[in-house]
Amino acid sequence: MASREMELSGLHQSNDPPRSRLSEVLRRLIYPFQRGEALKPRPATGFYTDTTVCIGCKACEVACKQWNQLPSDGFNFSGNSYDNTNELSATTWRHVKFIEQFSHESSSNLVSGNLTSLDQLVSLETVSNESPLNRWLMMSDHCKHCVAAPCHQACPTGAIVQNEFQNIYIQADICNGCSCCIAACPFGVITRSDMGGHSHKCTLCYDRQRDGLEPACAKACPTQSIHFGPVDELREQARKRVEQLHQRGVPQAYLYGDVPSETYSEMHSFYLLVDRPSIYGLPDAPFNPWLHMMGDYVRSVAGGLAAIAVLLVVVFLLKP
Amino acid sequence: MPITKVPGWHGIIAWDALLNGMATGLFLAAAVSELAAPGVFMRVAKVAYPVALVLLLVDLGLLVLDLGDPLRFHHMLRVFKPSSPMSLGTWCLTIFSLPLTAAAGLSLLAELGWDFEWARITAVVVGLLPGFGSAAYKGVLLSTNAQPGWKDARWLGGYLTNSALLMGCAELLVLSAVMGQTQAIAILRTAFIVLLVLNVIPLGLLFANLRPAHALLYTREQQWRVGALIAAGALIPLGLMLSKGDLLFILVAVIVLLAESWFVRFVYVKIPHTSPLEVRRGE
Repeated sequence: MASREMELSGLHQSNDPPRSRLSEVLRRLIYPFQRGEALKPRPATGFYTDTTVCIGCKACEVACKQWNQLPSDGFNFSGNSYDNTNELSATTWRHVKFIEQFSHESSSNLVSGNLTSLDQLVSLETVSNESPLNRWLMMSDHCKHCVAAPCHQACPTGAIVQNEFQNIYIQADICNGCSCCIAACPFGVITRSDMGGHSHKCTLCYDRQRDGLEPACAKACPTQSIHFGPVDELREQARKRVEQLHQRGVPQAYLYGDVPSETYSEMHSFYLLVDRPSIYGLPDAPFNPWLHMMGDYVRSVAGGLAAIAVLLVVVFLLKP
Repeated sequence: MPITKVPGWHGIIAWDALLNGMATGLFLAAAVSELAAPGVFMRVAKVAYPVALVLLLVDLGLLVLDLGDPLRFHHMLRVFKPSSPMSLGTWCLTIFSLPLTAAAGLSLLAELGWDFEWARITAVVVGLLPGFGSAAYKGVLLSTNAQPGWKDARWLGGYLTNSALLMGCAELLVLSAVMGQTQAIAILRTAFIVLLVLNVIPLGLLFANLRPAHALLYTREQQWRVGALIAAGALIPLGLMLSKGDLLFILVAVIVLLAESWFVRFVYVKIPHTSPLEVRRGE
């Protein structure tokens, strides 16, 4: 699939005007410096993902790949539950995580147990429900669209922008594959494509949003685990859901990324979780590396100035 | 398993960090020395600028080659973004390359008899600030990110900038020795010895920053081995410089220093790229 796409991208398009080699070089040189008009800001949009209702059907992954024309990653056996895409990548902008939390004792009971009556079945179910280790967590992961996004701060080409919906968007025609965004992202979202050498990630279906449509993944989700809309409304909706879960005996439910912490901004895509973030492969306390930058510059300059001062002192002391 | 993804910067970036330090350090050492004592350093500085330009061009070539799409290298100049160390560094390098080229060109012209001394000195002075910026950004670029180990390296910038000046002084010393500039050799040898000792401070602080990451990645034996190599890289040049100041000793001392400088950069750049198979291989 990937190689086929490379072939297709190399083909001449019938509506391409004929260009000489010189004009093509000039176009490549001038094009990135051309600017369009700044778009009028619109209300911030994002995702709220309720992991408690995710069933791991991967409809979101498929819808994302289909709409964004992303190539297949191959049909691989990962050995990790029902996961066969493993991680977010340049060609997988949605990834459903499967976290199996089963104690060996209870699973052996289930396998070897001689269930002779309905009472016994009910009692086993009760035990499984009560034990936090007998459950299967699923989570549809994607770009967090952070408000103060490290990838956005790191990008030296201006390819990564905050668009009119305040979503973090990579302009693929501008990115030159320097990988600063990959190094900066504390969530491991962005990846460089082997095909073009550029970075790619979830666009929050910018093209669909501009046409007034919801993102493909949210549209396809059959359990409404993925909610899309104005961020303020989503936060309100998510908080109500957390309260509801607390009342229903799930006191460990909480929201991840809906509000800023001391070390990280809020995210326009946030999650409802029922276990520690690290269980879901998220950092427990995300840290924005830019909080250190000024101090690092000071130490860097100090290191250089100290050496120049030494050199100057020696030169002045020893020169004839 | 780490949550972050590796940026794919490895071997080529270790060489880039070395050549960046060698080019900017040589220019800064030559410029500072020449401006402070023109009678002693002018001749060697006129050779140092073209050498620094060659080193910088090789370094820029490596930077371009490391891009996912090298033909888009000029996209770096679309915006000036101080929040991005890479953007700041690119602009510093671009601006620095202009006075450095002028200084190198005018130095070569002076050798051919066309002497524009005021223009050459102007180019040298103009190049000081962007040259310093080009040396200072690299460490901040490699520490301002979310990568395991790198994100804790608060003293990387301090070490790399200090090391750039140390390497620059060492290169200038070699050029002086090759050209037989005895006064310059005497001054630069003393400066080199003091800078070698001074450089141990940011290096020690950097490795203190990296200790938790190294403890996770390597066995105690491997850590000792790396520490011994780095210590030897600092002590051998120091011993050689303290014992004798002739060309052979200077050459060996500088080669050992450059090898140590590359090794420190390589060890650092490798941290987030260390594959799970290599993690604690000895255990």
